[in-house]
Amino acid sequence: MGQVSSTGVRVLKEFLRQRATVFWTIAWPSLWVFISAVSFASAIPEEIAALARGAFTISMLLFALMIAGMGNLPASIAEDRERGLMAKLKSMPLRPINDLAGRILGLVGFSIVASIAVLAVGYACGGRLNLTVARAGAAMGFLSVAFLTSVGIGVTIGSLVKEVHGATMTGIGISVVTAALGGIFAPYSALPDFLKAFARVYPVSSANSSLIYILCREDLAGYNPITAGQVAWTVLASIVIFLVGVFLYSKLSWRSD
Amino acid sequence: MSTYDLCKSYGDKEVLSDVNLRIAEGEFYCLMGPNGSGKSTLLSILASVRRPTSGRAELYGRPPECSKETIGYIPQENFTSTHLTGRENLRYFAGILGYSGAEARRIVDSALEKTGLLEDADRRVSQYSGGMRKRLEVATALFPGIRVMLLDEPTTGLDPSARRSFLGLIQDVKAENVTIVMVTHMGSDAELADRVGMIDSGRVVAEGTPQDLKANSGTSSVLEVEVAAKTQRGLEALRRLVGEGAVETDNGYKILSDDVEVLIPKVNRELDDAGCKVLEVRAKRPSLEDVFFELTGRAVSEG
Repeated sequence: MGQVSSTGVRVLKEFLRQRATVFWTIAWPSLWVFISAVSFASAIPEEIAALARGAFTISMLLFALMIAGMGNLPASIAEDRERGLMAKLKSMPLRPINDLAGRILGLVGFSIVASIAVLAVGYACGGRLNLTVARAGAAMGFLSVAFLTSVGIGVTIGSLVKEVHGATMTGIGISVVTAALGGIFAPYSALPDFLKAFARVYPVSSANSSLIYILCREDLAGYNPITAGQVAWTVLASIVIFLVGVFLYSKLSWRSD
Repeated sequence: MSTYDLCKSYGDKEVLSDVNLRIAEGEFYCLMGPNGSGKSTLLSILASVRRPTSGRAELYGRPPECSKETIGYIPQENFTSTHLTGRENLRYFAGILGYSGAEARRIVDSALEKTGLLEDADRRVSQYSGGMRKRLEVATALFPGIRVMLLDEPTTGLDPSARRSFLGLIQDVKAENVTIVMVTHMGSDAELADRVGMIDSGRVVAEGTPQDLKANSGTSSVLEVEVAAKTQRGLEALRRLVGEGAVETDNGYKILSDDVEVLIPKVNRELDDAGCKVLEVRAKRPSLEDVFFELTGRAVSEG
């Protein structure tokens, strides 16, 4: 195996074997999909109930990606630093970019597992999506944008916060707060104006609205996020956040002092 | 492996000062010193984890960062993952070194066999004892191409049996002509080395074979006094008798002296007067820890 795949396999196995990580990343969003389907079912008109449940499933899927990227990834980096693995790796012929790529590869694997679980629960609870090949392709693009943003923020946290508990709590805190403020826990239309502005700027929220717009109903998204300007901003912002994370990781986590 | 006028500072604090080492291929070299003496920093520079402030280090004529494929660095922390099995951990490190497929399986099995972990290879590391985990970490430095093993306080936290077993493993590794540099604050670990460098406050204060260091020390014997309870009055009584040559140990006190036979009754009497119950008094030849104390006036176990 190469350096990237070796690191990816290690990180994926570590994620899957930590009960707390599995619970908070996979079980917790899945549980919310179930609770929302049961609790709010009567409040939704019958004709849009399936797609509304689908929309909430998408939001929880994105929340799982946020927890994975912003919580699990920095915790993993901080843990590796704390237990001396980073020192060991610095002494080995491992390129920092390969290490990071491997970590992201492991996270991709874990995120796929989480996504499948959340989607399966959503489907079991009656959630439906308007899927075509073209829509699925566009959806993959927006999922990638959300993932890239989460990884960028997670790597930044992992580079700046040295201690495992601190890195975990910072990551979870940022994902929960930004999800709450950005219209992932609540419909975009229910947000006050200043939070609507934030939801349009924050790439994960924008990706969430775009996915709902494409895969569910346009009115459930609350606005049209598939404009050239909005999509360009979302993609560009996610790339910038990701590159900032990569830069900080290579400079801070791999620095020889 | 060589260092030339190696210095390392953190801000105003100088951690290493003009360290010049020459370590031959296949040699087992031990860096011995108390906590904070700079020995782990020196090892991490040799492992290319840190960079010197001035001076340079070389492995096979190249800077350490250009010789990473030859370095097997074992930091003091337990760096293997408790969520993975022993075999999975080694597969990861083999992958980092560029081994894959059947070749990776072969070298991992070989490393597991050499470290006596083959039977436990598929158990999670969380189920390993401290000694097994340390052996697994040594296994990460037993892959082909690694010619230098750098061990940072590897026996710390191991029980006596695990420690002896671990040191036996290091002796086996040495037999394969791997150069070993081990950092320790335990004189008994350093006894196994071909040469010992004693480091204090960032400077190498003595260097030689364990036999030479002991033979050249100014003290011919050491008196070990085991007491029921160590007291400050007891230590003060001994220091009135022999000056700063008395020091506390785990079980009581230790006195460096050339004339222990004359000293024994006096020690008994002074401690008795100080209300310190003596359990046993033993005369023995000086250890490397005693040599360090004689050279620096500090116990090597001091923090």
